Amino acid sequence: MKNRHAALFLLLVLLAALPQFLPRFYTYIAAIVLLTGLLATSLNLAIGYGGIYQFHHAVFYGIGAYGTALMLTRGTMPAVFGFLAGPLASAALSLVMGLVCIRLSKLYFGMLQISLGSLVWATVYRWYSFTGGDDGIHGVPLPDAIASPQGSYYFTLAVAALSVFALYRIVRSPFGMTLQGIRDNPVRSEAIGVNVRLHQLAALVVAGFFGGVAGMLFVVVDTSVFPDMMFWTFSLEVLVMCLLGGMYTFFGPFAGAAAIVLLRVFASVYTPYWSLLLGVLLTLVIIFLPDGVAGYLVRRLRGREGVRA
Amino acid sequence: MKTRSLALAGFVLVVFLAASAQAADTIKVGLVDTYTGPATAFTNDVLDGFKLAVEKINAKGGVLGRKIAYITRDDKFKPDIGLTMAKELILKENVDLLMGTINSATALAVSDLCRKEKVPFLVTFSKSDKITGEKGHRYVFSMNENTEMAGRATARVLAKKPFVKYWIAGDDYEYGHAIANGVFDHLKKLNPKAQLLGQSWWKVGETDFTPYITQILAAKPDFVIVATGGAGMVNFQKAAQSTGFNKRVPFYQHTGIELSTLAPQGQNAPEGVYGTANYLFYYPNTKQNQAFADEFRKAYNRYPKSGALYGYMAAQFIAKSYEKAGKVDKEKFIDALEGMSLDSPVGRMEMRACDHQVALPMFFGVTKKSPKQEFLVASDILSIPGKDYMPTCEEIRKARAK
Amino acid sequence: MASLADLFSSGTLSQFLVGLSRTTILFIVSSGLTLILGVLRIPNLAHGSLYMIGAFLAYSVIHFLGDGTAAFWAALVIAPLVVAALGFLLERGFFSYLYEREHLMLLLLTFSFTLIIGDLVKLVWGAEYRSVTVPRVFQGSAEVFGLPLPYYNLFLLLIGPFIAVFLWLVVNKTKMGKIARAAAVDSEMVSAVGINVGWVFAFTFVLGCFLAGLGGALIAPMVNITLGMDHSLIMEAFLIVIMGGLGNIWGALLGSLIFGLTQSLGILVWPQFGIVFPYLAVVAVLVVRPKGLLRSTW
Repeated sequence: MKNRHAALFLLLVLLAALPQFLPRFYTYIAAIVLLTGLLATSLNLAIGYGGIYQFHHAVFYGIGAYGTALMLTRGTMPAVFGFLAGPLASAALSLVMGLVCIRLSKLYFGMLQISLGSLVWATVYRWYSFTGGDDGIHGVPLPDAIASPQGSYYFTLAVAALSVFALYRIVRSPFGMTLQGIRDNPVRSEAIGVNVRLHQLAALVVAGFFGGVAGMLFVVVDTSVFPDMMFWTFSLEVLVMCLLGGMYTFFGPFAGAAAIVLLRVFASVYTPYWSLLLGVLLTLVIIFLPDGVAGYLVRRLRGREGVRA
Repeated sequence: MKTRSLALAGFVLVVFLAASAQAADTIKVGLVDTYTGPATAFTNDVLDGFKLAVEKINAKGGVLGRKIAYITRDDKFKPDIGLTMAKELILKENVDLLMGTINSATALAVSDLCRKEKVPFLVTFSKSDKITGEKGHRYVFSMNENTEMAGRATARVLAKKPFVKYWIAGDDYEYGHAIANGVFDHLKKLNPKAQLLGQSWWKVGETDFTPYITQILAAKPDFVIVATGGAGMVNFQKAAQSTGFNKRVPFYQHTGIELSTLAPQGQNAPEGVYGTANYLFYYPNTKQNQAFADEFRKAYNRYPKSGALYGYMAAQFIAKSYEKAGKVDKEKFIDALEGMSLDSPVGRMEMRACDHQVALPMFFGVTKKSPKQEFLVASDILSIPGKDYMPTCEEIRKARAK
Repeated sequence: MASLADLFSSGTLSQFLVGLSRTTILFIVSSGLTLILGVLRIPNLAHGSLYMIGAFLAYSVIHFLGDGTAAFWAALVIAPLVVAALGFLLERGFFSYLYEREHLMLLLLTFSFTLIIGDLVKLVWGAEYRSVTVPRVFQGSAEVFGLPLPYYNLFLLLIGPFIAVFLWLVVNKTKMGKIARAAAVDSEMVSAVGINVGWVFAFTFVLGCFLAGLGGALIAPMVNITLGMDHSLIMEAFLIVIMGGLGNIWGALLGSLIFGLTQSLGILVWPQFGIVFPYLAVVAVLVVRPKGLLRSTW
């Protein structure tokens, strides 16, 4: 356990030193990796640890981004409120959608969520006077301290690290344990007096909130938002990140997100057929490494029990 | 099939080589555009037109003794990928200028990036009037018409027609609304008698237009402004043909007379559809236009569409601007490009200094069968000069001040 | 907003008929999806890609045979058959080894197939738009209350019930169909009595793919055939299947009717927002009946 903490600390130091020796473009990509990693990790709380078919996680990412962008461009309050408004809006939306969907199980839950999410997407897409419609909002003004490429990177690193740490603590808390108990055996959990729906709802709200934090970070890094961020295909991409890394490991989704972001950036430089590449890679992982790459490594390292820890 | 994949492989190789074989003494142009999905029906023409011109320029020794090199990046029609790719080209490849893209959200996002990074950005194909309008700035240029211009051009023609009761309909996204409102708002100014009977909007990618068509016909308008884009252009014309819509009520589509809309339908496209386009390979019937169409056809075995004109002219403007600037410098390049005017296949094209919007003619026509072609062509063509349908510099100033 | 009187004007019935013909394609595609979901338990996102391949194949066949009406009929047979063959390969090559996997895994596997197929279609057919003209016999339109209803839509109106009856016969009257129904409920029991479930699954999958291909071939004359045409359709088909009850063919029919009709009649009620009605319908159905309208096989 101590070794692990030391390794994590080293990783953080390394990440903090990154902008000092990396060219600007790579620093930017590193920021994108961090926020996308947070997005995948937040989804994993619902889908990996909660066993809830959160099919439209991108909606919370998008609302987090739009909430922040709208507050920063139209609001008159200090920027801090903007950074809070987005994630809080996501959490609120997550609560509302969760209340509607929670009675449903598995695929039905996922599809109802996609339906509701599509309504949210459609509203953002067409409410031109407020959200900028399909053109989106560009050139979002940021406070000077985080407007520079380095500033936005450090802000992203700090917020993403704190958020991932918070998620880690949540997963390891009694609440997280109960959640996993519900995932593995909902009937038994119900029988021993656990309020299944309340726990699942709480997991959804937390996942939505941190999805919104990731969206807020996107605004900080790219100063733009567009409705594509919350289209259902992107939700599937985030799911793929979780799967690729491994849904039953905590850091797997983060690694999966990093892999997909890097593949998208660097493979598309060399070939217009990177979807094909991604598709083949995914197929292979699903068939041969159903626990994802990280899940496979963890299993190799600790034997079968470790995987679900 | 085989030749196509071979050609594709060759294309990939060329792009790859072009990307890797950059000596220090080239002018580097980065193209961010959509090279996957349906939008490629338009963007490949921009790229091919650009390549055609660049090859000619390089064969003559390039500009300032340097060859023009270009790098392409696929944005997959997604703004976030487009933005990442644009950053990659600017920060990692150190391009001298950027070109692209068909997606308006991407174009606006990249435009904002270029403003911050102080890199010139020539927009090809995105039709948002915000690019050179309210969101315009020193580093962005538009190589094509926009929704506002299409609206004004069309309103000028329609104002002289006897129609009174109008209906507007279209793809429910920014482009559709901008075109439809652009036409009708200006029409209302020019012909106060014009009235709006109603409107219908369908989701982008709608496949069955019959319910909308029956709804419109039931209202009995005199004229319908149909604001579709992309695949919706053909889809709507097909529905018009099978319901006989075009025979019951005349309608207009921006780019409705363009080759990209008419060629896929062969002889079965509806006749009598009003439309506008920036480029027709058969009109104006001048030597310059014929030469360009023949050259393009020889190189790529197809007729050029409007994208080809944008790409071809972008390359010319780039070369001439560096020549005029006398050195490869971003600020000098912009100063040189401002106000530049060049001969093009469709006549004189000018890069207006006040808003960086290119002025080029717009053609208004009606679809008709042609004995010479396998597809319908535009007839009764009116050519509207660029300056007649552009917002004034004063209007642009006001929009930008907001 | 239209007044109530307008709703019962002449336009309503013709709008209704149009909604019905729109329903046909939705039904054909989603019945295939629901069969595969119900019997094999695979949430097949690649179903939309197969539909797209069906449309492209129809284009190729019609183009190759010279654009006549005969070519159209040939395409209606050949395109779905080729798609079915492709489905057979997918089932035997991949899914038959993966039935025990979680639904989520299968969903993501089929998602990766959509990525692969999308790029393969681009490699084979290129990125240009493709278009097929309406066969000569179906050109033009009939008058319904003074408003046009294209003959091709009428043809679709007839095809819809035909397919529904055909599927009912296959599922209820053939031995294969009966086994498939039993397997949908309890596949272990079926294999326990000595029936090779694998082949039943393969048959069902192939039938589902055939329907996807048929849907693609039927839509071809109405639209611009492009990459990305799979996207919006697959989402609609999934919502229909969920609304109707997973695995229930009549549910798919009911869901398609609700989806198609709320869309076309929604236009009459509130023209600018006709689009949102189908989604609202799905939300309403699932809130009231969380397992869909009709009995699910799950």
